[in-house]
Amino acid sequence: MKRSQVPSTWVSVDQAVKWPARTQCFAPTVKRSNPIKPRLFPQNFTSAASQRQQLFESESSRSRSDFRNERSSLLNRVRIVPASPSYFTAKPTFTDSLLELQALLRKYQTLPLTPPGTAPQVAWKTLAQWQAANGDEPVKPSKYGRILSALYRLNQIHPQLMPEEVQIALDKNKKDFNPYEIKTKPSFLDRFGRAYGVGRRKTSSARAWVVEGEGDVLINGKNLAGMFGRIHDRESAVWPLKVTDRMDKYNVWALVEGGGVTGQAEALTLAISQALIVHEPLLKSALRQAGCVTRDRRRVERKKPGHVKARKMPAWVKR
Amino acid sequence: MPPLPGPRWALRTSLDAFHSQWLLNSSLAVPAAQKSAFSTTSLLSARAAATAPPPKPRRQENTPVKGVRKTYSVKKARKVSTAKPPGPGERKAMRKRIILSNTNALEVQGLKKLEKEMFAGGKELKELSGKMMGLEDNTIDQLKAVQAFQPRQGWKMFRWPSVLMRKEAVDVGHALQNAENNKTSFRRVLVGDKHSGKSVLMLQAQAMAFLKGWVVIPIPDAQELTVAHTAYAPLPESDPPIYVQKNYTAELLTKISNANQAILSTMVLSQQHKLPIPVQNNISLDRFASLGARDPELAYPFFIALWKELTMPSQEGDGMQRRPVMLALDNLQHVMRPSEYLDPDLNKIHAHDLALVKHFMDHLCGSKPLPNGGAVLAALSESNRLKTKELDYLIKRNEALAAGPLMPEQTMPLWSPFAKMDEKIEASMADVEILRLKGLSREEARSIMEYWALSGLLRQKVTEAFVGEKWTLAGGGNLGEMEKAAVGMRV
Repeated sequence: MKRSQVPSTWVSVDQAVKWPARTQCFAPTVKRSNPIKPRLFPQNFTSAASQRQQLFESESSRSRSDFRNERSSLLNRVRIVPASPSYFTAKPTFTDSLLELQALLRKYQTLPLTPPGTAPQVAWKTLAQWQAANGDEPVKPSKYGRILSALYRLNQIHPQLMPEEVQIALDKNKKDFNPYEIKTKPSFLDRFGRAYGVGRRKTSSARAWVVEGEGDVLINGKNLAGMFGRIHDRESAVWPLKVTDRMDKYNVWALVEGGGVTGQAEALTLAISQALIVHEPLLKSALRQAGCVTRDRRRVERKKPGHVKARKMPAWVKR
Repeated sequence: MPPLPGPRWALRTSLDAFHSQWLLNSSLAVPAAQKSAFSTTSLLSARAAATAPPPKPRRQENTPVKGVRKTYSVKKARKVSTAKPPGPGERKAMRKRIILSNTNALEVQGLKKLEKEMFAGGKELKELSGKMMGLEDNTIDQLKAVQAFQPRQGWKMFRWPSVLMRKEAVDVGHALQNAENNKTSFRRVLVGDKHSGKSVLMLQAQAMAFLKGWVVIPIPDAQELTVAHTAYAPLPESDPPIYVQKNYTAELLTKISNANQAILSTMVLSQQHKLPIPVQNNISLDRFASLGARDPELAYPFFIALWKELTMPSQEGDGMQRRPVMLALDNLQHVMRPSEYLDPDLNKIHAHDLALVKHFMDHLCGSKPLPNGGAVLAALSESNRLKTKELDYLIKRNEALAAGPLMPEQTMPLWSPFAKMDEKIEASMADVEILRLKGLSREEARSIMEYWALSGLLRQKVTEAFVGEKWTLAGGGNLGEMEKAAVGMRV
């Protein structure tokens, strides 16, 4: 390899000499010219050109007798080696990251942990996101799992005793935003004692205001029987009140739009249930069991070419 | 084992080939026209060739053949029904059949019946509020005669026809009592949601009228008057013309005489009327009515005479006594619009120009009084609903007027300035109050559910929660919907 071809991130041996043996690697002692940041392959090597320049300049001032003695050490110094000892693992960034995390783990393994299940919820980078941030190395999911398990364990260190370097290492591997930090805005009764809820199903959406009362229901200005001809749909609409035995304790005033009859009835289920939870938050688990909490995300499946409908195929005809 | 091709076989084929070749080339060869399995004389064959039709052109390939299907299809065997088709009118009879009793239903123990005595004073009527009451035998017969029962009212599910004395029914009972005492007419249009019990309330009113000894004149379905299914003719010397439906009037007289026989038989003709036939002077009114019903040509003059007799003011003491009259009409929307009948200029005749409808409307709006007191009731139908913009507006207007002064956020209903108001309809609704039927109260709902349970139709326990649930599901206590939700078959 010619000098001019040497990648710029290679360093001379005298720096490399400082590398501790792999077995003694308690902490990441690899000195990097740059802090870890996404780098493309050709930049994975640091140049020691400036050091070499200094070296040859100092050579000229040295005495001739020293020259021979220093010749071997010079060779050591000018010989170009990769910056990371993991260079020949083919996944140096990954290996370095893993080693770094494992070193941190070893270093802080005696720190107390949070009680099980109470560690702060964190969304770690997915493998693709991690790869994009770390030079697109070909890392297998199973290997990335090792990083994740180290991160999980480090995250369990009690927050009050969390060392700064661990925090930095954790932050590096978090997603850009933490979805677990998004909390729904708590709803309250308004000054008239009304609770508000929204529900959707298929293409219908419903808004319901629930107030303490005697079981009157008014939807789009019509009563329940006027709104829904089928008894099944009427039951769907007031299902949250029925399963919790609250049918004669609340009044409902609702607006529904879009979709068909069934969609509107089932959109109302969710809307009324949400408003009922504002009145009585403890009913949530019962309502969840009754299927009144989770939005059904199914919509009409699109038609495909060659099919009569979404899945239906035309009848087979003998030529 | 087949014989192997040998020299003999080869010789035979070569000989054949030679023979045919020889035949073709030699002058002995037969002409083409004579080539046949048999021989004919040349003369005959020539004649045959001359008279033969020209040879058919050979069908070219790929030309479609007529009558041959390209696709494969299996013809389904036709199902031939061996059942006898229903006779004329049989299907309609099945549809209109009224069943008033079901022996599979349990008999409700301790079910009281509506009696004459309950209507003497207002007190006892009040106590009936919210209770189920059976109907007496006589009353049932009378109600049948006026066609007050309808097939879809659920009578066929129970052992005995009974009615719930809901608040509105009790109110109507009191109003009838007042009308009788004060000799005024109680005029109402019954309005409410579908299956809210308008027609049944009408039935209850008629039942009470029968028990009180009133004369009931029914038009059970106003549609029959306006859909042009019965004969009509202008009344002579009427201007603007009034149209008489003689056959319907005859039927009406039959209904009147059958239903009110008990009370009409106590009254006799008191006046001289202009009638097409001579009539006995002291004929009882039920016989008079049935006499008029016998011939459609006589029906209308007899109906008018009967009405005059019924509305003669009662005399003091032992003099002539007349009872209050109830006029009851169902499906009001059908007579609040132009009818299907045509006049000589082929314009639609307005329903209010039909004699019987006009007669009813004159009494509904109060322009003609009932001197002995009485009631004029008209019910809307939501299941056989016609769009009548005028009537809808007038009902809203009359309700708003009756409700008293408007609240600040309320506005008076207004008729569209771009639409023409039908003056006849407006006049007929000028001064009529609206009786809007809302849902049952919870107590009433509970009472009727207990009746269902006692009849064996409701298997659940009638608890407060159960009643509340059905009450809500029925859109706030709508009786028909509640029956559908609790007793009806789930579809």
